[in-house]
Amino acid sequence: MELHRRGFRGGWRGCCQAEVEETLKRIQSQTGVVGIIVVNAEGIPIRTTMDNATTVQYAGLIHQLSMKARSTIRDIDPQNDLTFLRIRCKKNEIMVAPDKEYLLIVIQNTNESSL
Amino acid sequence: MKKINPALTSSKMGGSMKKFPSHHSIGNYSRHSYKSSISFLGSTSRQRVNLQGEKISDKSYGAGGRHFIQVFDESGKDVTPHSLVVFDATFAQSRQNKIFSSQDLLSSDYILTGTMYQSVMNTSFGGPFTRSTFDSGSISRSSRTFSDSLEDIGDSGIQHDVPGLHQYFQIRREDVREQLNEDDLNKIVDVFLTETETFTFLDLPVEMVSVDSAEAESIKQRNQLYIELCKERVGNDRYIERMAQTFSGARKSKEVQCDKINTQETGVMATTWDMYDSFKEGEVHEEISSDHANQQKDLSQINFDRTILQTLSAINSIGLESRSSTSAESESVINVQGTEELEHDSEELLKNEKLKHDLFIMERVIMENIFQPKLAAYRQLPILPDPDGPSNAEEEVVEGIMLLDIMSPRLQPLWSFTCSLTKGRNVSCMVWNKHNLDLLAVGYGQFGYKEQRGGLICCWSLKNPMWPERIYNCESGITALEFSADSPNLLAVGHYDGTVAIYNIRNLENGLVLDSSNDHNKHIGPVWQLKWTEQDRNSKEDEKEGTLISIAADGRVAKWTLAKGLESSDLMRIKQTGMQTSRKMATDKEKKSEASISRQAPGMCFSFHPKEANIYLAGTEEGYIHKCSCSYNEQFLETYGVHKGPVYKVAWSPFSSDTFLSCSADWSIHVWNQEVLRPVLRFSSTITKAVHDIMWSPKTATVFGAVNEDRVEVWDLAVSILDPVIICPANEGLTLSTILFAKNTDCILVGDSNGEVIIYELHNMLQQEDSLITLDDIITATLDSQMISDSYKDSTEEPITTNICDTVE
Repeated sequence: MELHRRGFRGGWRGCCQAEVEETLKRIQSQTGVVGIIVVNAEGIPIRTTMDNATTVQYAGLIHQLSMKARSTIRDIDPQNDLTFLRIRCKKNEIMVAPDKEYLLIVIQNTNESSL
Repeated sequence: MKKINPALTSSKMGGSMKKFPSHHSIGNYSRHSYKSSISFLGSTSRQRVNLQGEKISDKSYGAGGRHFIQVFDESGKDVTPHSLVVFDATFAQSRQNKIFSSQDLLSSDYILTGTMYQSVMNTSFGGPFTRSTFDSGSISRSSRTFSDSLEDIGDSGIQHDVPGLHQYFQIRREDVREQLNEDDLNKIVDVFLTETETFTFLDLPVEMVSVDSAEAESIKQRNQLYIELCKERVGNDRYIERMAQTFSGARKSKEVQCDKINTQETGVMATTWDMYDSFKEGEVHEEISSDHANQQKDLSQINFDRTILQTLSAINSIGLESRSSTSAESESVINVQGTEELEHDSEELLKNEKLKHDLFIMERVIMENIFQPKLAAYRQLPILPDPDGPSNAEEEVVEGIMLLDIMSPRLQPLWSFTCSLTKGRNVSCMVWNKHNLDLLAVGYGQFGYKEQRGGLICCWSLKNPMWPERIYNCESGITALEFSADSPNLLAVGHYDGTVAIYNIRNLENGLVLDSSNDHNKHIGPVWQLKWTEQDRNSKEDEKEGTLISIAADGRVAKWTLAKGLESSDLMRIKQTGMQTSRKMATDKEKKSEASISRQAPGMCFSFHPKEANIYLAGTEEGYIHKCSCSYNEQFLETYGVHKGPVYKVAWSPFSSDTFLSCSADWSIHVWNQEVLRPVLRFSSTITKAVHDIMWSPKTATVFGAVNEDRVEVWDLAVSILDPVIICPANEGLTLSTILFAKNTDCILVGDSNGEVIIYELHNMLQQEDSLITLDDIITATLDSQMISDSYKDSTEEPITTNICDTVE
């Protein structure tokens, strides 16, 4: 009843999806973020902020790399698992959150001058 | 051929002959040839041999009755083969020389001839030149060259066979060929045949076994058996040598056609984790069986399609499904099938909890990338330059300028906590979490009555400076916040309308746990400060979860208990008998304080003594600071009345148990000693702004920070008691409202009226070893000087330290 009186205007809409969308939007608006790609288990991009060709290329290549990385980690210790993968390059940084059902890829420019 | 005494040969030849080793396989020819050559010792000329057969043969005859072979056919024609080699006319005479001096031959021609001779002379002699090619062709070859060479030899009268260095002799042969005429052909020609070396087609070397060896007996037996066999074999009927001819069957090719054999390649990588997974799931789901197997057939086809879509490395893990018999795998396949419908695929995925979590982590990682140098400065880590960043020349210039500032203390802004939600709101209070020092709770609420609108609480994390971790909206403005030390997830919130609420910040959405709106004795005025009391101090049973103490503008200091059942608000109550204090009307003289009608003066702030938890100071709107005790709810222990305006903040020094600090709307800050009724030190500024907030530094006893409406001041009493050490003005149009020191690092946080909390780093503050001692010294010195000056002045209460302040902007 107190909640009713208080009227939580700012509370979430209760749907997980809205939160996810909002977070995606926030991440996209951060400085230096080039693009976000969410790929499902079959390699089909579900969400992307970049053009199709780049998206498909990233999806395929990063998928392979993350499978290899996961395989490596689990070969060393089968009870371990890969949770996050960061590839720092000269021009940018690719951050990958792999999962069984999806693959989340964010590319960010890390140059100081971009801040 | 004559037989020659080999002894004669060797003696005559002398040393030079020793170069030619002799083999037993030498035929008689060789010796013979040697012998015949002996007789021609003495002549030394070297001459070319040509094919002029007549002369040569004559000469050879003349040389001493050599024999040479002549081949005649049936009709008596001389068909002795010609030699390939071209002999000089006088060669016959000098051939011995050649033989002997063949080692000395220098010219290529002669060397060749010498080679020839050597090989001929003695096929078994090892000469310096390669002989095997010659030898192999000497007799077995029936080629023209060979026969020619023989003929040549015959012509020249030389007894040696001359197998050819084919290439050379062939050339010569061509040249000389024309010279043959009728007479030449009819001549009798000697043909010489020599023996080649032995060709070994089968070589069974003799095997010798020691008599003492283990096998000696059996070998002897076998040898014996063999000898007997050989004896018997001679006339034995069982061994007949006979030859037979077999027919070689006629070949015929035949073609057959068959179906193409389909091959399929599959590969599986057996990795450690694969085996582990299969093993694990086989263990767990052993009882699930055939009903899944049926579905598996359909699914395997779908799986196959899936594998096509995926990359090779993925196939390795999924390919296992088609051959794995673990039922859990089929189960997981089914799950995937169930959720993955083509149309709703993406939506389902976006609702995934794990995706949300991953996004959360990802956001923090991005923030870390963006804010890395600032966070490193906050954490007092060395700031590493970006190795891939552009190296600027201008950076060096900036560094040069910064070097100039390096000596003076200053504030370096790092970043600010702000987002779209907080824009335009006034920061009213900030507090660190007691347990996690990276977590900051900020309350937003207006101070004035007219500006009231909804309140907001944001919990910020250092790991994400751009978006708060928790956002709670409230109806009325927030005026006080405090985290509980015992339960670090509980946040006590005081509102402008007097409500006290407890939030559990573990809840993402509805953090409110309890509030006081149902209480009968709730506050009526804004709650200006809150404090949790320590749990171990409470001996009563119903106070085990800790108690909350609040001070509000209705003049009450209330104590709240959180009894059992945190959800229900009924259980929140104020103990009226506990702490309720009524203030008397205060005047300068304090003589009218005993009036029967007592009004309650609004309380603005309080501060509990760090060591003696029963004692606390309370500041009022009238300007009085009262020292009270929890045990007495009727009377104050002390009253310090100097301030001329509402006392916005009092703070005990965390180091010195006798000193406290107070700030007020009368533009002044006072340092007090609790024994003395007058302030020890007073700081005021010519800038006529109320000082909203002060705080002692948790690290250095002599440092405190103050915020008045326009600027931030950091004072260091060890450096100067007249001026602040750092002054940092606010941005245009903003008023600063709160200040907070960070506990584990040299940073201060300043909140302003636009909803921004700016983090500054303190640079170049004076490093002090015994700041407490310094503080005490300062205070004692000042007190002493005050007392001395008091002795001069009678009852004036004018402060000694005057209003001196710089107006450096």
